[in-house]
Amino acid sequence: MNPVWHAAWAAVRRRKLQTIVIGVVVCAASATLVMALGLLEASAAPFDRAFATQQGAHLAVAFDPEKVSEADLTRAAGHAEASAGPFLQATVDTSTGDVFLGTLTVAGRADPGGPVDRVSVWQGRWATSPGEIVLNRTPGAVGRMDVGFRISLPGRPALTVVGFAHSVTGSADAWVTPEQATALQPTALQMLYRFAHAGTAAEVDAGQAAVTAGLPADAVLGTLSHLTVKDKATSELGVFIPFLMIFGVLGLVVAVLIVANVVSGAVVAGLRHIGMLKAIGFTPNQVMAVYLVMVSIPAVTGCALGTVAGNLVGKRIVQDAVEGFGVDELSFAPWVNVVAALGMPVLVASAALVPALRARRLPAARAISAGTTSRTGRALRIQRWLSGTRLPRPVSLGLGMPFARTGRSALTLASVVLGVMTVTLAAGVTMSMTAYNNAVRPTDTDRVELLAGPPLGAPVMTQPGVEPPAAKLSDAQDESMLRSLPGTTAVLATTQLNTEVAGGTQEARIVFHRGDTAALGPRVLTGHWPDGPGQVVVPSRFLNQRGLSVGDTITVQARGNRTQVKIVGVVLTNNADQIFADWSTVDVLAPGARASSYLVRMAPGTDRAAYTAAVSSGDPGLRVLPPRDGTSSTAVIIISAALVLTLVLGAVAALGVFNTVVLNARERRRDLGMLKSIGMTPRQVTVLLVTSMGALGVVGGLIGVPIGVAVHRLVVAAMAHAGQSDAIDILLDVYHASALALLALTGIVIAVLGALVPARGAARLSIATVLHNE
Amino acid sequence: MQNGDAVVEMTNVRKEYSDSIALDGLSLTVRAGEAVAVMGPSGSGKSTLLNMIAGLDRPTSGSVVVHGSDLGVLDETGLALFRRRGIGMIFQFFNLLDDLSALDNVALAAQLTGTASGQARKRALELFGELGITHRKNVYPAQLSGGERQRVAVARALMNRPALLLADEPTGALDSRSGEQVMDLLLDLNQIGQTLLLVTHDERLATRCATRLIEVVDGRIAREHSMERA
Repeated sequence: MNPVWHAAWAAVRRRKLQTIVIGVVVCAASATLVMALGLLEASAAPFDRAFATQQGAHLAVAFDPEKVSEADLTRAAGHAEASAGPFLQATVDTSTGDVFLGTLTVAGRADPGGPVDRVSVWQGRWATSPGEIVLNRTPGAVGRMDVGFRISLPGRPALTVVGFAHSVTGSADAWVTPEQATALQPTALQMLYRFAHAGTAAEVDAGQAAVTAGLPADAVLGTLSHLTVKDKATSELGVFIPFLMIFGVLGLVVAVLIVANVVSGAVVAGLRHIGMLKAIGFTPNQVMAVYLVMVSIPAVTGCALGTVAGNLVGKRIVQDAVEGFGVDELSFAPWVNVVAALGMPVLVASAALVPALRARRLPAARAISAGTTSRTGRALRIQRWLSGTRLPRPVSLGLGMPFARTGRSALTLASVVLGVMTVTLAAGVTMSMTAYNNAVRPTDTDRVELLAGPPLGAPVMTQPGVEPPAAKLSDAQDESMLRSLPGTTAVLATTQLNTEVAGGTQEARIVFHRGDTAALGPRVLTGHWPDGPGQVVVPSRFLNQRGLSVGDTITVQARGNRTQVKIVGVVLTNNADQIFADWSTVDVLAPGARASSYLVRMAPGTDRAAYTAAVSSGDPGLRVLPPRDGTSSTAVIIISAALVLTLVLGAVAALGVFNTVVLNARERRRDLGMLKSIGMTPRQVTVLLVTSMGALGVVGGLIGVPIGVAVHRLVVAAMAHAGQSDAIDILLDVYHASALALLALTGIVIAVLGALVPARGAARLSIATVLHNE
Repeated sequence: MQNGDAVVEMTNVRKEYSDSIALDGLSLTVRAGEAVAVMGPSGSGKSTLLNMIAGLDRPTSGSVVVHGSDLGVLDETGLALFRRRGIGMIFQFFNLLDDLSALDNVALAAQLTGTASGQARKRALELFGELGITHRKNVYPAQLSGGERQRVAVARALMNRPALLLADEPTGALDSRSGEQVMDLLLDLNQIGQTLLLVTHDERLATRCATRLIEVVDGRIAREHSMERA
């Protein structure tokens, strides 16, 4: 057997702990690396990835079948790079049915595939026979709906939902078979196009001109550009991107740091062994090779396992984050695995190379004496100073240890800092999401929500077989009845109306409030709540999407009435298309309208069941809604991902500490043996080693927390910006003094958790063996 | 403890390792004021014998009683407390902490017993004076000669006034002049009543310092005789 391989393999077998530590650390680091690179890749362009996967349509056009034939459309489509259609397109209004799904654009398609807009069926199956329908929903966004329910509409055939699918271009709200589409009385022919160049609005316009050339000018009923779809998607889900990117970068840095620390430490700890190899005739290059092989064996094994684990665990996290973009079957790009599988061993070898080169140059005699020679300078001065303090000796000795190996301590400190920073950031993001969620979707158990009837112009969503709400009393009588009930402390009456905002591209819903708006209405961030007719407050996303600001006047139109309203404030709410007005404005747009719902706040201690029974007794037509589930799926995903990433990065940081203690204990085994021989108890040895890392934990906490807070401000501001919202105080000012103190303690927790096991192992060291090994 | 009282009582001590027997039913009594030298070839079990008395290792069978304490019933913490107060140890390779000055190395032993830092240093300085190394108190081990290091080690061993001083090849790593100095030191200590147990290959050390010589072969006491000091 090659002597280098022989010596390296013997070292691997003999130094089991070191081998395991390197293997585990490289495994964890590789998994982190795969996850980090996967996050970075996924966060780079999730919409583009989904769009590419589905061969999304650059342009969807609805044509008037009265003006153009299917043959004309097929012929004209030859000017596009690829096309799909024509598909029969019908508009189905579900407001008269028993399940309200809004107005659906339904396309007749025989299959979900094709050259353009390859619709992804993620639950159930595609519609294959009449009477079946597939709804367009992003994965995971169906709430309590499940396949199998029926949509019955007067005068239309009943449709059974057989699947949920997602079209990233949003070509339709639902799909049926072409035969079924014919029965739904189609009003348009849908064509989907891909162009060679469609990166800008001008290029999309040019493509549209090409595919409509020669067709009647008024044949086009409507168009939808992929650029419009992308803007909407990224504004809603782009909040993930800064979050994913920062965790990706953190994971990458932690992985590199830990591996460098562990591997270089292993070589330094083996200097004496290197000297012995030289003494028996190994050439310097052979010695270096022994060490590179010795660390490479566990590193390659760990890397292989870590890459697999990273794919399994990482994909799940990234999948949750990006599935809102319609990426339902995520696979990391091959380069992610290639970089992890090759890059990590290269990193390990590089980390080992520097100290191995140093050892190569070291004379054998000096290498043999490594670890037993005295350390001088600052470390000794600090140890002397500590000796004079009143601290217990194990503590003072432990506090001095990090100064003996400043390079190793610095790397360990860096991993603790990163661990603390990650925890601080994750805690901050979680607190921001929770605070925001609580503000926009209060789950207060002291509130009761009541439906009085359908909102203006739309039916209320009902369950099949359940009577819709229909108040028996008048609006004023209902409000009066609610206020008179024992336990009522505040009542808010509301109704809403879909309006068109002149100059805008989208509709908006105007919500009218009456009653105790200060107690139960949305929180006003700037300006004031409307105090008269013609005033509205809006969310910041409404302003940002339309280029408006507080003080501007907009024109709204509904039910044939048109009026100008002035924006007098900004409220905290997540819906970009919702504006709020005082009840006095309802008389302008919908004279005589009554409240469609009431929100009541009960006094503390009020029995909910008794209260709702009293409400039903007062007006049996009022529907008491179950307590609102205020959990946002976005918040849940971000918080879950933050938790998992924090655990992974925290564990990797603790592994770095673990390794440092293992190395320190091995180097100091003679000292530890001597200390035990003069009466130091195992507990005191443990205290000594844990204290040595605890000191780094304290410093790491003090450094990591402010960095984490600063990064949190940047990330949350970027997330708010991506969501076209403002980085408001409620998102930014989440760290209170007690939270900061607790977060600073995480440095100690990481350090102590990492140090405890090897410290206890060192405490059990056999003195006789250690002291007679000279 | 008065001269003649049993300090160490080993009864039928057997120590087995996975592939060998280090001690094979060895019994030994060491009385207060004695200076016992344990000699024997390499691998005969003499270091194991020392480890048993110091509580650094546990017998497979048999009992080891030191100062009336049965070491077999003490847990690790109990053994540590026993070592603090009951014994002092001197090693062939000194085993000083490189990061601590000579004075701090010695004071450390007392500080572990809870003695205040200032008081421990005062006691260490007294010992430095007695051992003639006061001028080296602030020097680090690497800067001390072998003899000086061993004197510091002896000072540390005596710091808590142990009734029993154990020495494992105390002159083994020293040149002849330093070795002589350490021999004188041990002789002086025994003459003022310090009980000594030495493990050594050095016949000169044995004949000069010991009042009794024990020869261990294959884990048993092969010969034992009282000595007239040279």
